[in-house]
Amino acid sequence: MRLTSIVLGLFLSFIVGTASAEVVVVVSVQNPIESLSRAQLTDIYLGRLNRFPHGGAVTPMDQREGTTAHSTFYRDYLGQSPAQIKAHWSKLIFTGRGQPPRSVAGDSAMADTVAASPDVIGYLDSTYLGSVDEGDRLRVVAIE
Amino acid sequence: MRATACGWWQLNSAYDKHAHSVSDDSAVVRRWLHRLVEPAWLFTIVALLVLAVIWGATLNLVTKEYAAADRTAAALVADSADTYEAQVVRALREIDTTLKLVHYSLGDRPAQAVLEELRDRDMLPPELLFTVSVADSGGDVIASTPEASPSQRNVADYDYFLRAHEDEGMVVGLPRRNQETGEWQLFFSRRAQAQAEGLTVIVAVSVHAGYFVSGYDPDVLGEGGILALLGSDGIFRVKRTGDELTMGAAVDYAAVISTNGTIGGPARVEVNPWDQTPRYTVARQLYEFPLAIVVGLSEAEHLAAARQSVRSYLWYAALASLLLLAVIALLGRLSWRLQRSQSRIMEERVAHARRVEYLAFHDNLTGLPNRAYFTRLLTQGMQQSRRYGKRLALLFLDLDRFKAINDSLGHDAGDELLQEVGLRLNGSVRESDIVARLGGDEFVILLPEITDASQVAVVADKILAAVSMPFTLVGQEFRITVSIGIALFPQDGEDEQTLMKHADVAMYHAKEQGKNNAQFYSEKLSVDSLERLALESSMRKALEHEEFRLFYQSKQDMLTGRVTGMEALLRWQHPDLGLIAPMQFIPLAEENGLIVPIGRWVFNTACRQNVEWQAQGFPPLSMAVNLSARQFLDDHLLQDIKSALDETGMAPELLELEITESMMMLDMPRTVRILKDLKRMGVRVAIDDFGTGYSSLSKLKEFPLDTIKIDGSFIQDLVNSAEDRSLTEAIIELGKGLGLTVVAEGVESIEQADYLRVHSCDQFQGFYINMPMPAAEFEVAMRQQIRRFEDTNPTD
Repeated sequence: MRLTSIVLGLFLSFIVGTASAEVVVVVSVQNPIESLSRAQLTDIYLGRLNRFPHGGAVTPMDQREGTTAHSTFYRDYLGQSPAQIKAHWSKLIFTGRGQPPRSVAGDSAMADTVAASPDVIGYLDSTYLGSVDEGDRLRVVAIE
Repeated sequence: MRATACGWWQLNSAYDKHAHSVSDDSAVVRRWLHRLVEPAWLFTIVALLVLAVIWGATLNLVTKEYAAADRTAAALVADSADTYEAQVVRALREIDTTLKLVHYSLGDRPAQAVLEELRDRDMLPPELLFTVSVADSGGDVIASTPEASPSQRNVADYDYFLRAHEDEGMVVGLPRRNQETGEWQLFFSRRAQAQAEGLTVIVAVSVHAGYFVSGYDPDVLGEGGILALLGSDGIFRVKRTGDELTMGAAVDYAAVISTNGTIGGPARVEVNPWDQTPRYTVARQLYEFPLAIVVGLSEAEHLAAARQSVRSYLWYAALASLLLLAVIALLGRLSWRLQRSQSRIMEERVAHARRVEYLAFHDNLTGLPNRAYFTRLLTQGMQQSRRYGKRLALLFLDLDRFKAINDSLGHDAGDELLQEVGLRLNGSVRESDIVARLGGDEFVILLPEITDASQVAVVADKILAAVSMPFTLVGQEFRITVSIGIALFPQDGEDEQTLMKHADVAMYHAKEQGKNNAQFYSEKLSVDSLERLALESSMRKALEHEEFRLFYQSKQDMLTGRVTGMEALLRWQHPDLGLIAPMQFIPLAEENGLIVPIGRWVFNTACRQNVEWQAQGFPPLSMAVNLSARQFLDDHLLQDIKSALDETGMAPELLELEITESMMMLDMPRTVRILKDLKRMGVRVAIDDFGTGYSSLSKLKEFPLDTIKIDGSFIQDLVNSAEDRSLTEAIIELGKGLGLTVVAEGVESIEQADYLRVHSCDQFQGFYINMPMPAAEFEVAMRQQIRRFEDTNPTD
């Protein structure tokens, strides 16, 4: 019983560990963008940049604060903690200079939202792409 | 002596002082101005001025810096307060708008559905910061977006919930910490009607507390500034200083608000009561909300930059001051050195001028005043005496036999002697008396302020005694004497020249009186001295004019009466004064040096005469010639004799030189040397006037002599004086004992001749035989004598 629970615990932690480690940035396949620099991605998500390098308007989309995808994304791609992000947007909102990205609940909602508009950029757990084939409507953007 | 010299200097400087005091007051001003441009003053003044400029400018700059910083801070805080107020009011209105929107959207629909719909329509504030919720009258949260955290599912004990039931408008709740996230939140609420959930619900918006102070810009407010939202209840909803957030602290609201808050007015420095920090503070009550904003800028922090630059100004000023002082000090030192070296050069010049002046007025051998200075002093003394009706005495001194000493011992010894004499003279007179050296061995002494002549005589005696004390020169003891002539002012001369001349005349008289004595001047002496002067000048011409004559006196053998030789005696046939005896002019010739050429003439003439007589058939007769002291010590003596012998062809052994005892004793080693040289030439030497000197008889044998001549003074009293007789006998015995020929001089009677013959004297001369006579007469007398001798002593 105890052994079984330990083995199960290890298994679960493995899944969770691998799942939390991988967040990918996605756009609609209608969007010609294939890669972004880390600085461009950062600027887009911090509200400093509202157009793609090719000139199209960009609307960043967040996952809900407190989710693994949210914290992993900001940690891995922007190198910032959720608290820092919150402080950043606090200041921008308070001084009236911007609004944070809207958020969606979960990967599938994110996939739908991104796929629906060529302007939207979002992120989701790589395991979601492994389990659901979204190749015909989403493209993973390489972040260099 | 020195005192008098100093007095003369002081006289001059006193005169200068008097001249200065006459000048007017402008000289004082000029002297001050002159002093101001002296390097020490000038450098100090320049340094002080530049320092004043440096520090004045620096302090001005500091004041301006602080004033600028103060203005900047006040304006900055006022600006920030305006901005902050606008931001806060907008944020609050947005929240209130949200509350109202929810309130009116509720209707009779379920609250959660309404919130989700509003959210999806993007009509709620961002979920990232804001949570919108609806609670029922029991405090249970019936709707929330995002989802309420578990600890906030019932808000019955939250103050915003309770107060919302009472207040009409928006309630600003107290800050609370979310138990799950640990995040401080601010709450805003409104009462609303919701049919679906019962009668009354409370709509609330909670927001991250830091939201209201996220406008804190460290670039503007620094680390010590303040940005705060203060409730009118005196409780800080949120307060931020640097990165530090404080929620819920309480202060005296009225006190904070009363002092501040005028819109557009500059901020003033206040010590904030919550952390006791002085800040430029603006606290302003909001118009529509029960809140006030507080904006502050730490004075210490804001002025730090100003202080920093002030500090660097002060440092620069201090450095500049130091540099300036160093440069000034360097310049000052250089100029001081320059000045010092200049003043040293000046001092050297003055010292040199003094030295030159001193040398010009002093004799460099003895340090005594010289003739020029003495003349001045004498003139001054005479003026003083005349003014106060006093007398003064002038003593003219001349050392006896000094020339002989100088010639025999050399000039160094002579100089030493003069110095010693100068010291002794100074020691013999009072401080106020003046001793001076005129040159050579001539000294003068001025005795001012004398009452009668006897005083002078006492001083003169003292001088005579002092000078006659023995001297030690070149390791030998010597005695020297001085002859003093005294002239008194005013009776012996009204002017300096006359007085000097008369003292000189008196001195010559003292010489004539046998030396080593002092003589007062009298009219009669002046006449004598005129003769003497005439004599001296005519003597110089006498040689050229052939006025000198040689007289001859024969010498006879005591026993046989045969003529053995003759003595040549000098006479001066003066055209005006007639025949002058050697006594009268030889001392003069000794002094002026004419004795040497005269002596040369005597040698030549005597030798020529002797040779001539030989040629006429006279037997070989000796020829005696007297030498004076000066002649004897003359370096050319031997040469002169040799050339006389060579020129005339006279046999040397016939020439006999007569020298006096005292001459021999002057410098014995030299005498012996000269005598030996003469001997080598074959010339005979006789010691003349023997017995009058005080030569040691034992020394006599050291001299290579041939003849002793007994002085005539012994012979004169021979018959009457037993003492002279015994002395004469002793001399004869001594001479015989030394193998010398003994000759008696001045024999005048047959008794004397007989006595001498009895006592084995060899030869004699004197009036008993013949007087000294000219060559022609002598020749006749000689022929008679020779004939007589041949008659009495037939050869065959």
